Amino acid sequence: MMSGQEFFINRYRKLGWKYTSAKPMQAIRVNTANAKKEDVEQRLESRGIRLEKIRFLDNGYWIHESKISAGATSEYLLGLYSIQEAAAQIPVALFSDLRDKTVLDACAAPGGKTVQLADLMNNTGAIVALDIDRQRLTALSNHLERCGVMNTIVYKMDARHVSRLQIKFDRVLLDVPCSGNFATDNNWFHVRTFRDVERNAALQKEILAEAARVVKDNGEIVYSTCSLEPEEDELNIDWAIKNMNLRTESLNISCGEAGLTNVFRKKLDSSVENCRRIWPGQTQGFFVCKLVRRSDA
Amino acid sequence: MKAIDEFAGRFGGRLSLDEKLIIEKQGRYFLLSENLEKLLTDTFFYAGVYLGKVKRNVFFPSFNLLRMIAEGEANKVTVDERTEWLFICGRDIFKQGIVKVTGSRNKGAHVLIMNKHGECLGFGKLLRSTDKEAGNQKVMIKNISDIGDFLRRER
Repeated sequence: MMSGQEFFINRYRKLGWKYTSAKPMQAIRVNTANAKKEDVEQRLESRGIRLEKIRFLDNGYWIHESKISAGATSEYLLGLYSIQEAAAQIPVALFSDLRDKTVLDACAAPGGKTVQLADLMNNTGAIVALDIDRQRLTALSNHLERCGVMNTIVYKMDARHVSRLQIKFDRVLLDVPCSGNFATDNNWFHVRTFRDVERNAALQKEILAEAARVVKDNGEIVYSTCSLEPEEDELNIDWAIKNMNLRTESLNISCGEAGLTNVFRKKLDSSVENCRRIWPGQTQGFFVCKLVRRSDA
Repeated sequence: MKAIDEFAGRFGGRLSLDEKLIIEKQGRYFLLSENLEKLLTDTFFYAGVYLGKVKRNVFFPSFNLLRMIAEGEANKVTVDERTEWLFICGRDIFKQGIVKVTGSRNKGAHVLIMNKHGECLGFGKLLRSTDKEAGNQKVMIKNISDIGDFLRRER
C-alpha cells in the first residue's frame, strides 16, 4: 500500500535521510516597519519570553521559554511581531529588491508571508494576495489589519486564474498548497497517502504554469512547500525549468541541503540543486526554490 | 467621508484623508494608495488600509483608523502596564491605572487609550470627569473597543 509511516520513511531513506521524530521550535518574526528588533526583544524578555536570534534569518527569533502565550501580548496585538515558523520565514527573504514592486502572493492565507512581504517592501508598491477560502481570507484580513499593512489588495481567487487580473508581476510568491509533513501534524502518517501527493503535485504544476504566465521577464518566482515529497518539490521544479521558460537561481542561505538531482533513480536537471531541502529538526520540513523568468523567450 | 470625520471629531481630532482614495464595499471602507487604485478591480475582498464599517447606521472603526487619529491631536489617556493588560482583556479602566490625560477630561468624552510606549490600544468613554475627586476603585473609562478583539474574532 502506498501510504503509512513505513512507506514514507522508506522513501526518505532512499532520498538519503534517516527518519527521526522532530518537534519544531516556536519562532517569531519582528515586523520591522512597526518596531525595532531590540525593542521587541527587550519588551518580550520583560514579560518572561526568552528569545534567541535565528542565525539564518534577519528578523527571526526562536522562543526558548515563555511564561505567557506569545500570541496574547500587547506587542503581538499591536503588530510588532508575528508568530511564524522559522523555515516559513525563508521564502520571502529570498526575493531581491522588493521596494516599489508589484508582487503576487498567490496562495496567501492566513497571511504570515503577506505581512512579511509588506514589511520588507516597507509598505511601498503593491501586493496582490489571493486565496480561495472565505474564512481564511477573513483571517488574512485580520492579520493585515493587526500589522498595519497598507499596500495589499486581497481577492477571493484561485491562483490558477490570476491572469484574469491582467497584471504583470515583478515578483511572485508561490507558497503552494501541499501535503505538509509529519513534524507539524501528529497524524500525518495516518492520514496521508501517495495519492494525496500526486494530486497536490498536479495542482502545484498548474499554479506554477500560471505564475510563469504572469511574471515579467527577469521577474522572480519563489516556490515553497512544507512537503518532503520530491513530487511536490524537486520534480515540479525540474518540470518548470524544462517547460515554463524559467531558470533556478542559487540561494544564499545557511540552512538545509541542496535540492536532490537524483530522485528514485530519475536524473533531474543539474540546476535543481540550487533549491534548498530542509529535513525536519529545529524547523519543520520545508522546500524552497527561486526561479527567474528567462527574457529570451 | 462623513462617518469617518464624525468619528474622529468625537476625540477632538481631525483627519485629512484624500476622499478620492477612499473606497466602500458592502459597508466597509478602505483607504487606497495611488499604486493600489491602479490595480484594483471591483471584486476585491480587502484593500489598502481598512478604516472601518457602517452597520445599521453605526460606524465601527478599525484599529488602523484609531492609530491614525492617535497620530494627531486627540483626547488620549495613557495607562500603566497592569491596566494595559486588563484593558486588552476587555476590562474598564479604574482611576488608579491612569497615568496621563491629554485633551478633554469631561464626562462623556471619547478617549483613545494609549500605553506607556505611545501605542493605541483602543478607545473608551469617560464615565466621570477626570478633574473631579474619585476613589481609586471607581471605574473612570468604559471600554468600548480594544486590540484584544483580534483574539476574540478568531474564536
